[in-house]
Amino acid sequence: MRLDGNRRPMRGRTSRLTAVIALITGAVVVAAGCSSSASKSKTTADSGKTATVSISLTPQGCAAKPAKVATGDVQFNVTNKNASAVSEAELRTSNGSKILGEQENLTPGLSGGFELTLAPGSYELNCPGASQEHWKFTVTGKSTGASWQSNPQLASAVKGYTTYIDEQTTDLVSSSQTFCQAVNAGNLNQAKILYPKTRVYYERIEPVAEIWGTLDTEIDGRWENPVTVASQFIGFHRLEQLMWSDNTLKGAPALCSGLVKHEQQLLTLVKSAQYNPLELASGATDLVNEAATSKISGEEERYSNTDLPVFKANVDGAMEVVTLLTPYLQKKDPSLLAQIKQRDAAVLTALSKYQASPGYDDTGYVEYSTVLDTQRRTLSSSVNALAETLSKVSTQVGTA
Amino acid sequence: MTDELTNGQDNQDDPSAGPSRRGLLAGAGLFGAGAVAGGLGGYFGHSGGGSAAANTSDVVGDSDQTVSFYGTHQAGIATPAQDRLAFGTMNVVSGTSRSDLRDLLKDWTTAAARMTAGQLVGQDNQPYAPPLDTGEAVGSPVSRLTITVGYGPSLFDKRFGLAGKKPSALTQLPPLPNENLDPDYTDGDLCIQACSDDPLVAFHAVRNLARIGMGVVEHNWMELGFGRTSTTSTAEATPRNLLGFKDGTRNIKAEQTELMNQYVWTGPESGQAWFHGGSYLVARKIRIFVENWDRDYLQDQEHVIGRSKVAGAPLSGGTEFTEPNFAKKSSTGLGPAIPMDAHMRLASHEHNGGTRILRRGYSFTDGIDPQRGTLLGGLFFIAFMQNPSQFIKLQNSLAADALNEYIQHTGSAVFACPPGLKKGQSWGDTLFA
Repeated sequence: MRLDGNRRPMRGRTSRLTAVIALITGAVVVAAGCSSSASKSKTTADSGKTATVSISLTPQGCAAKPAKVATGDVQFNVTNKNASAVSEAELRTSNGSKILGEQENLTPGLSGGFELTLAPGSYELNCPGASQEHWKFTVTGKSTGASWQSNPQLASAVKGYTTYIDEQTTDLVSSSQTFCQAVNAGNLNQAKILYPKTRVYYERIEPVAEIWGTLDTEIDGRWENPVTVASQFIGFHRLEQLMWSDNTLKGAPALCSGLVKHEQQLLTLVKSAQYNPLELASGATDLVNEAATSKISGEEERYSNTDLPVFKANVDGAMEVVTLLTPYLQKKDPSLLAQIKQRDAAVLTALSKYQASPGYDDTGYVEYSTVLDTQRRTLSSSVNALAETLSKVSTQVGTA
Repeated sequence: MTDELTNGQDNQDDPSAGPSRRGLLAGAGLFGAGAVAGGLGGYFGHSGGGSAAANTSDVVGDSDQTVSFYGTHQAGIATPAQDRLAFGTMNVVSGTSRSDLRDLLKDWTTAAARMTAGQLVGQDNQPYAPPLDTGEAVGSPVSRLTITVGYGPSLFDKRFGLAGKKPSALTQLPPLPNENLDPDYTDGDLCIQACSDDPLVAFHAVRNLARIGMGVVEHNWMELGFGRTSTTSTAEATPRNLLGFKDGTRNIKAEQTELMNQYVWTGPESGQAWFHGGSYLVARKIRIFVENWDRDYLQDQEHVIGRSKVAGAPLSGGTEFTEPNFAKKSSTGLGPAIPMDAHMRLASHEHNGGTRILRRGYSFTDGIDPQRGTLLGGLFFIAFMQNPSQFIKLQNSLAADALNEYIQHTGSAVFACPPGLKKGQSWGDTLFA
């Protein structure tokens, strides 16, 4: 997974992580896995020397020489002498699910490379187009430095988060299917009620969905991102525009089935994804940043004005992380934890002023367009305070 | 510029404590030309590396000059006016306790002392924590940065148990002539005035203090000033405001100790011991309808102000610093040379029973008026005084000001700026004592 030009510039958990990793490893090409033992940073493993591995791309494959190195920094030098059907080498986790590093676009006569800091374990070296595409690569030794995996509280938090993401994504798919039934039946009123109820599942886990490049745009892209091209405006917000702005479901069934298809792709990816505590923490901050930015302004749900339930979903997704990390933070930094909880309570208090029953379109909240600028500012102040505190969690877990 | 001018007459502390940002950062990899040293640990350079690097810097003029943060009075009042301003007002977030607020003032003190000494807010950065300093001022010379804090009337309500500490004259200004106040630019629990010759350095100061305060305070309004419009020292040349006229010729100068004590610094008359040696800050956002003004013919412009446009001499004759003769008849014999409704006559201490204030304003622009499509800018007026009644008196006198046709006051606030600190003291220590 690379930094993708289509990604929304404002968001970017992965881009941020990638940037950090690139600085740490000084890699020529770094492809940050969304979890990746490879991204165990140099901060814990910078004492050793760099191993050099040569990979020659041939029509037959991409054997690494040597195929086994000791843990630490590894420089991969990739050359292509004469393999016209093969042009890239990529190192993946052993199950092949994530690219950790790669060199692309090596036509015959070219060479390149990438550097990674690798933890002990099995890896897979891939060279698409060769007669044998998958090759084994092994890193030996003991993990250097402390690992979050040996901390039961962090390991448990990550496990809990994996479950949470699975559940939310599963519910996203099933809720979208129900929503699409109303769309397909031409029941506009029912579809309008189901739309925000479906959105919340996505808005609780959005930073995870953003890991996979364009998928976030396909599901949740707004008109203005990534580009104002109608054919790429296909997800939730295109449906929102049809229903509220154009007051029609014409063309909606096809969009809806496309939405579900992308969500199912997400679910497949999520099922095999691995996370680390740093991603939990930075993802939580990103979620609250989202609430503070695109929800407060009303731009996220600009056609439907159903920003308040998704604002709440952003905060919920972030606080789920806090709940999972609570046993850890309780020990590590109880005053930070207390401040987070206090500020979360302040957000909920600010938000409660706009609760209604059944509320606008059965959302439990008032229509967002009725919330005045001065009131939005109060809401914004509380959610920014929460985000600021949440941003201090990452260093508590990132170096564990 | 000499050291005795750095912060009025009362700062004896070493003004050059700490290396400059430029010095600190020379050799740091991320923003400089050097190699990345030690990964993120060396993000913002290393402490102690300042002196050698500073000596080799290519600083122009006095840009590395610091103004002492410590002294009898807060810096940024009698300090010769710097070229740039960032002025932020903030409100305390509901639910904040007295001790939260006190802690914030302590944190602000620490950060302000560092920044005014040319140091980053913090540089012990961790790879997985947001950087302690926001970073935009990295490499910028400190450029005489001063950070001045003030407390608004609303801070002394019931919330923090400060009602008994309220200075007697700290109240909202009464309705005044020629104002049409925008609530978005009015009042505030606290203010931060950051002045520097470098706009980025001034902005950086307010941004970082706001960041430190998040969850305790929230932005209320903010204004950037891009050119000083007042002289506060005899060492400075008189600048011009957006009217194109010299401004501040007759301002109190920091060197005029008696006038400073009589009109600017607070004492026992303030009713609060913690406030002795402080000053009231009155901020007024004054829109200038520049297009209209630019259409006025030269002689009328000069009559409106009471001075010649280019030289700045009073219309009664002489040069810029010649005392105006308000009694002198005009050459035509019709009325006085300085018209009865001229701005400088109505604002003069002669016309106001001796009343004076220390003006320290800046030109501002907020871009284009969205309704009118005209330039949205003017004078961000800041003045320091012993009692806001001084400003009230002057502004009431200006009810007849010929200039009113071209201006409108659209923002307003009053703050009590506490006295200066000694090393080891924090803002709020005496207020919360």
